[in-house]
Amino acid sequence: MVSKSARAALALVVLGVLVLASACGGSGQKLYLYNWTYYIPDDVIEDFERSHGVDVIVDSYSSNEEMYNKLVAGGSGYDIVVPSGDYVSIMIAEGLLKELDLSRVPNLANVDPSAIARIGFDPDNRYSVPFMMGAAGVSVNSSKAEGYAHSWSIFGDERLRGRMTMLDDMREVLGAALKFLGYSVNDVDPAHLEQARQVVESWKPNLVKFDAEAFAKSFASGEFWVVQGYAENVFLEYDEERRGEIDFFFPQEGMPMYLDSFCILSGAQNVDTAYQFIDYMLSPEIAARVSDYLMLPSPNVPARELMTVTPNYSFDDLAAGEFKEDLGLEGLKLYNKVWRQIRVGN
Amino acid sequence: MKQGPGGLYAAPSILWLSVFFVAPLLIIVAYSFLTQGQRGGVEWKPTLDAYKAIANPTFLTVTVNTIVVALGATLVTILIALPCGYHMARSKRQNLLLLLVIIPFWTNFLIRIYAWIAILGNEGFLNDLLRFLGLTDEPLRFLYNRWAVGLVLVYTYLPYAILPLFSTIDKFDFSLLEAARDLGATKLKAITRVLLPNIRGGVFTAFLFTFIPIFGAYAVPLLVGGTESYMLGNLIADELTKSRNWPLAAAISLVITLVTTVGVMLLLRAGGTATLGSGGAGTKEPEEGAALPAQSVASAEGEPA
Repeated sequence: MVSKSARAALALVVLGVLVLASACGGSGQKLYLYNWTYYIPDDVIEDFERSHGVDVIVDSYSSNEEMYNKLVAGGSGYDIVVPSGDYVSIMIAEGLLKELDLSRVPNLANVDPSAIARIGFDPDNRYSVPFMMGAAGVSVNSSKAEGYAHSWSIFGDERLRGRMTMLDDMREVLGAALKFLGYSVNDVDPAHLEQARQVVESWKPNLVKFDAEAFAKSFASGEFWVVQGYAENVFLEYDEERRGEIDFFFPQEGMPMYLDSFCILSGAQNVDTAYQFIDYMLSPEIAARVSDYLMLPSPNVPARELMTVTPNYSFDDLAAGEFKEDLGLEGLKLYNKVWRQIRVGN
Repeated sequence: MKQGPGGLYAAPSILWLSVFFVAPLLIIVAYSFLTQGQRGGVEWKPTLDAYKAIANPTFLTVTVNTIVVALGATLVTILIALPCGYHMARSKRQNLLLLLVIIPFWTNFLIRIYAWIAILGNEGFLNDLLRFLGLTDEPLRFLYNRWAVGLVLVYTYLPYAILPLFSTIDKFDFSLLEAARDLGATKLKAITRVLLPNIRGGVFTAFLFTFIPIFGAYAVPLLVGGTESYMLGNLIADELTKSRNWPLAAAISLVITLVTTVGVMLLLRAGGTATLGSGGAGTKEPEEGAALPAQSVASAEGEPA
């Protein structure tokens, strides 16, 4: 008898603990977000957690390649990712993304139609919801350099030899050369790429290096005078009082441009919460806070009115840009070959 | 030699190595023979494409470049580490010196690279000093070339060379040097004929501890290198990420592994029966790793204890 009642008591305790545990764990649902580093300010995430009773677990990546390789290699458990356009199409083709029910993202209406109209990687937003867009441009330290044109030709200027860097990124560098020649940044014509290679080879003697990691620090210290890169990287390193020195521009010939979009992974476990999060991020107040934080123009039209920070460039400056699309395997191989010739020399 | 339960003691390390070393290595071998996927990853169709791609002159250039940098940096590292190890072994403040060698490890590796950028940059401390002393007007470019890569690599891996050299030299019986002098050897001869042969094991260890990681260097050439400082480590990373060519990345990694393994075996053979990290000639059993060099000299063939 004793043992029986003891067992019953034990069972009750166990049951109680289980109920408690599930109550604690389940009071908030969870959302697994795989996002760019420093892309969404922490307080925005915290506000979402509070208002929706959700526990958001954030993991971050610093390149599309890193994110994609992790997911392809079997990394799972995430609900939302934020790939750039070319990777959206790659991930659609790989079946990694879930087809969206756009009626659950009413705030998509806030996104500038002019941006959506230029999307080639997912024309009807069947898999992706545009979040932020921008482009790498050229930053010039105007206290050191003068008499240059707002053109990619600045990298051919021998007066600036040994003071310039371009990104260690074949799409950006070859894209710059292709635009300089008047072609598309997604051009896969071998003859055009050969011309682009020659252009980059003519710039290369003037470059200190191809750098996507530390160029902004050396630009801020005055070592580099002209750098190709993202405005947010460059301005972040610069002393606020001296920011007037920076002449950031998009070359008149145009430039490769990115659009990062929210996507729900096909294996997502928390789909409802994921929709809530995406719609929340597209609400004007939140979009404005993100743009303020990044000092970037917002593709979210009503958010522009709410911004309190002047962005590093305006949305209209991006008019000359062209979204990077996936090149396909053959196109990628061609770009790799050309890029290796540039990097290694044969 | 008794055959006790000794084999069992090795079970944890065997398990560890099979899960975290052998299995990944087998995956790399398998991937290197598969077809590049349309969008990264691999297709399960066997092919030799990756190995055909390696035969490309580009890889030869990068490989030669990497070997030159790695060999040069390793030799300089050992040349600096030898006197350091010698001095530490003879010093009365061994613990303090040992601590000083280890202190850099307290700071993150990347932060130390950025510190070098701050020192060597055109607007860096070194150029400021040269300008202050009136030696130069225009800043000198120290960074972003092969020399900067070599310098930072030597700096990074110096402790890895000093420590094994120190531990070997520390066990050396210095009265042997005196004996050599008494028998008429010059100072230099005493070092080359008596000291160096006896610390050969330590030199090999130092060589391997520096050469192998430098051969696979990635961050240093990326951060302080220039347009021409492109090493195999960078090539592998780019093939895996930007080029989305996993089989090629696997094949290059495998070639590196093979080259290093063959290199190590050749070195070991050249080192005679020397056991890594041991006193040198004559010590045969791993248990004797700590054998006194003096002992192996005294009994040239090495005596089982």
